[in-house]
Amino acid sequence: MNRETITVRVRPLLAGAAFSLLLASGGMAPAFAETPADTLVQAWAIDDTITLDPAESFELSPAEFLGNGYDMLVRLDIDDTTKVKGGIAESWEVSEDGLTYTFKLKPGIKFASGNPVTAEDVAWSFERVVKLDKSPAFILTQFGLNGDNVTEKAKAVDEGTFVFTVDKAYAPSFVLNCLTATVGAVLDKKLVMEHAEARTPSDEYKYDTDFGYGWMKTNYAGSGPFKIRDWRANEILVMERNDNYYGEKPALTRVIYRHVKESATQRLMLEAGDIDVARNLEPGDFEAVSKNADLATTSAAKGTVYYISLNQKNENLAKPEVREALKYLVDYDAIGATLIKGIGEIRQTYQAKGVLGALDASPYTFDVAKAKELLEKAGLKDGFSVTFDVRNTQPVTGIAESFQQTAGQAGVKVEIIPGDGKQTLTKYRARNHDMYIGQWGMDYWDPNSNAEAFTSNPDNGDEASVKTLAWRNAWDIPELTGEVKAALLERDNDKRAEMYKKLQQQALDTSPFVMIFQQTEVAGMRGNVKNYKLGPNFDTNFLAPVTKD
Amino acid sequence: MSETAMTRREWLLTDRPQSRLQARLGRAYVTWRRFAANRLAVIGMLIILGLIVLAIFAPLLAPYSPYVGDLAKSRLLPPDAAHWLGTDDQGRDILSRLIYGSRLTLQVVVLVAIIAAPLGLLVGTVAGYAGGWVDAVLMRITDIFLAFPKLVLALAFVAALGPGIGNAIIAIAITSWPPYARIARAETLTVRNSDYISAVRLMGASPWRIVLRHIMPLCISSLIVRVTLDMAGIILTAAGLGFLGLGAQPPLPEWGAMIASGRRFILDQWWVAAMPGFAILVVSLGFNLLGDGLRDALDPRGSSQ
Repeated sequence: MNRETITVRVRPLLAGAAFSLLLASGGMAPAFAETPADTLVQAWAIDDTITLDPAESFELSPAEFLGNGYDMLVRLDIDDTTKVKGGIAESWEVSEDGLTYTFKLKPGIKFASGNPVTAEDVAWSFERVVKLDKSPAFILTQFGLNGDNVTEKAKAVDEGTFVFTVDKAYAPSFVLNCLTATVGAVLDKKLVMEHAEARTPSDEYKYDTDFGYGWMKTNYAGSGPFKIRDWRANEILVMERNDNYYGEKPALTRVIYRHVKESATQRLMLEAGDIDVARNLEPGDFEAVSKNADLATTSAAKGTVYYISLNQKNENLAKPEVREALKYLVDYDAIGATLIKGIGEIRQTYQAKGVLGALDASPYTFDVAKAKELLEKAGLKDGFSVTFDVRNTQPVTGIAESFQQTAGQAGVKVEIIPGDGKQTLTKYRARNHDMYIGQWGMDYWDPNSNAEAFTSNPDNGDEASVKTLAWRNAWDIPELTGEVKAALLERDNDKRAEMYKKLQQQALDTSPFVMIFQQTEVAGMRGNVKNYKLGPNFDTNFLAPVTKD
Repeated sequence: MSETAMTRREWLLTDRPQSRLQARLGRAYVTWRRFAANRLAVIGMLIILGLIVLAIFAPLLAPYSPYVGDLAKSRLLPPDAAHWLGTDDQGRDILSRLIYGSRLTLQVVVLVAIIAAPLGLLVGTVAGYAGGWVDAVLMRITDIFLAFPKLVLALAFVAALGPGIGNAIIAIAITSWPPYARIARAETLTVRNSDYISAVRLMGASPWRIVLRHIMPLCISSLIVRVTLDMAGIILTAAGLGFLGLGAQPPLPEWGAMIASGRRFILDQWWVAAMPGFAILVVSLGFNLLGDGLRDALDPRGSSQ
């Protein structure tokens, strides 16, 4: 059609112009250079990496570096993500009362430094996380650990046995899932302590050492298939094969991440062969890459969901019929086929696909008549006006604009208030919004993470200490909150999964969350890159199996 | 030309006007003749007139709704017979959005001119006429505003006031008055000691009356030229704010915001960003040509009479 001819005529021009810009900007590799055969070069926006310390890192890109550089006691089973498999631990046992977990370590394994991996290292890594108490520490401290009792509760019995004691009889799947997080990474105690600095104990920080905190920001002390050799913020990260790794050794000698922010730039670099993998392709560029015979693509659903939330402090939005009506006013099919094509899949339940107990149901469709009927029942026959806080980035702006149009058909007048991420989020956290469109990433790979966020609100007061997403939308749900708590202590895995399914169903019917889609991570790569697979979260984007022809 | 036109022309161009009105009309006619002789300036004026016509008759001229598109069926269509300029990422007709967007552009330009020009004029003439510490204070304030890049200062104001087209207009107005104050002050300094001002003062006129009735009118022509030439800059600033998501709120078809949303498709669907960009280019060019023409026509120093 017409479109084809125009595209073909113009693209080389634009590409050429952009490319000469790239060259002019300096520091770029010459055009059409091939990457070395034993090295994988990836372009990725890695500006969210602020530290390489597993005890502090809680961002997306470092999760991938740490997931490949470190090993944890247990790892997520990539073939069935509702289960875990052994990492450093060879086997584990849960005591009868559900409080004590005993891990037997794999014998004879070593850190990249050559030091042996012992239960002492595991215990010390736990102690370090709890005592430093940085953002991801809650994943461990939620089991009743604190600075005073951690040496007792996370303990090395002998060289190869580690015992972990929790404060309640949690579901074992919950405990094990949490231990797969990067915060559970096992560090080389000997190596780190060589670089530890002395501290003067004070009221805020009671210990006389920094546990290598300063050194670990930019250094590496792990036992994973790759060593992190070099990191220059907003520029480059280099990983190298760890020859001391106990498992199957990676085929690649080196993996290099280059910080490239723009999707179009990444696409041009990929087409020119300057990089092997492009990680931030937007839908248009992704489509172009997937049509190119020299290139290949891959994608995986990630644990991030996008939703529109309705503040229950707004009296119109608080009506159950209105909540339901708005769920009928999203044009799911059109959004799925256009705005989020290639970067997400429509998903109406709040648990990410692939997690234990995830409910795959999508009962809502775009139905103006049905919505009007519900609005009439709510006494809002002529519709109503409402404000909508939207971060001025894609795809949320596009979705918000689409919703503005479709809701308008039922008489709901939506006023979009654009703002940058910080403005909108601050307003949202203070519960001052009417409607908000946001994204929510799982804190750790367990259904409890999202169940707590979306369907638990222990105290709906303005001064509450626990501020879940349900709290942010003033959704007062004592019953569901109790069910979330119960599911956490259910030790039978199947029953536990059922409980989460029930919670999602209730949220689907009554919650003030209009769930829209689950994010898909995409990557475009050169045709000679093989076995490149993305996992369900960023610490499972494993690079060890990747090969290059 | 008919007989009456000839006589009317002679009436306008007479050396001895019979009334004040005749003198003014004659003067205006001469200015217009000088302006009309500049072909580029006329083109610029036609562009601006075209923009005004588009804005006024937008509902009649636009083939589709600028706000409602069909996401599923008409997204990112290339220009063709049904959609002359293609459609955007929400499936809306770009031509219709551009036509409605002309209202916003005009609104921004007119409101900024109405707010900033009188403000600058007042500050400049008062500073120039009063002199002394009033002059020093007013001019240092002006200097402070001039010390910031315009767009950055506008950004800061919008960030403080909140996004929206109204706030964008205020922010641009606040940042664009200082050059006018400078010009007005310079003009005032050249006339403040002239004989006729002294004569008015001797007749007992108050300083306010002198500034308002005898100095300001003399500054206006150079100000009009400057404002017209600045229009392009104002449009670009408004578009820049829209581009950064701080101008018009969606779904308003503000041209800068349209470019911002089309930027993602620049490699494959070039028309989404190119069309509003082209519109901005044409209108900015129109204002620049008009401004140049006006300067040639209004500047008494450049007159060859």
